[in-house]
Amino acid sequence: MDDQTAIQRCRAGDKEAFRHLVERYQAEAVGHAIGILGNREDALDAVQEAFIDCFQALDRVDLTRRFYPWFYVILRNRCYKLGSGRKKREVSSADETEILAPTASIQPEDRMLLERALHELPAEDRELITLRHLDGLSYQELAERLEVPQGTIMSRLHHARKKLRDKLARFSFTGVSGD
Amino acid sequence: MTRVDCENVGRAAMVTEDGYVSELSADQIEAHLADCSDCRGEVRELRALANLLDGQKRKQRTENIWERVEQHLPAALPPRSRSRVGRAFVILGLLLLGYRLLEIVPNRHLGLLFKLVPILLVIAAFSYLRENPFRINTQLTLEGR
Repeated sequence: MDDQTAIQRCRAGDKEAFRHLVERYQAEAVGHAIGILGNREDALDAVQEAFIDCFQALDRVDLTRRFYPWFYVILRNRCYKLGSGRKKREVSSADETEILAPTASIQPEDRMLLERALHELPAEDRELITLRHLDGLSYQELAERLEVPQGTIMSRLHHARKKLRDKLARFSFTGVSGD
Repeated sequence: MTRVDCENVGRAAMVTEDGYVSELSADQIEAHLADCSDCRGEVRELRALANLLDGQKRKQRTENIWERVEQHLPAALPPRSRSRVGRAFVILGLLLLGYRLLEIVPNRHLGLLFKLVPILLVIAAFSYLRENPFRINTQLTLEGR
């Protein structure tokens, strides 16, 4: 069942069709909520609330556009409403990372430091950096998701990267010295 | 016109690095970087950081939240609230039109109080609908800060 069909069936009162949408996008949504909130427990609460908001707003969704970018706006509103600082997560080992997956391009200890630095960023900066670099969103997609002009994306991304570089420097992380 | 200073050059260099057109030309960026060792160092570090981040992946999630969501779903979708708002504004429009017709009847002086009627109608309509006429988005606040 495609998203448009599922939405139309939801509008007709079919909750199983909504289950289809939830199960299709829940993993992506939880990952994005963790990218904003920094911890799994708050992220699950935000995703749950966002899907409930979404169900109630399904009559307003534009069927000619993709579902997930529309849902993302609801999700991030929920995340910011919940607040980013409720439970500050301490990352003490590479096994505890919530945002970054293991990759061959980075040592586990460095991944832990990078994750720690990401957690120390303000939520808006962490969100922007993860959407840009981990999901590979274009400036245009970022502007749509965050509902700001592309020029603002350019400035905010630049400042977010500088903050992340400074955090990493404090952790004596040598992977970004550029040498 | 964008000033060619360290801040703008740093940002423009990274925008170009990302594959987009910046507000400064490649020649302006290169000329500044050739003269400014601080900016050269900063851009080098930010490029290295961007490359490092580009090589990372988001952790895959396996949580299933359907049961949590299902418990809180309403029995059915709520009726479209837009139709109520739309109807109210149609009625308001008709009332204002009627008022205007009354006002343009010649040789009638209805006084200052009569001129306040449209304002009162609009205030009453927004109060009834509980709508914010200025539509300011107050949702995006970080309560944890």
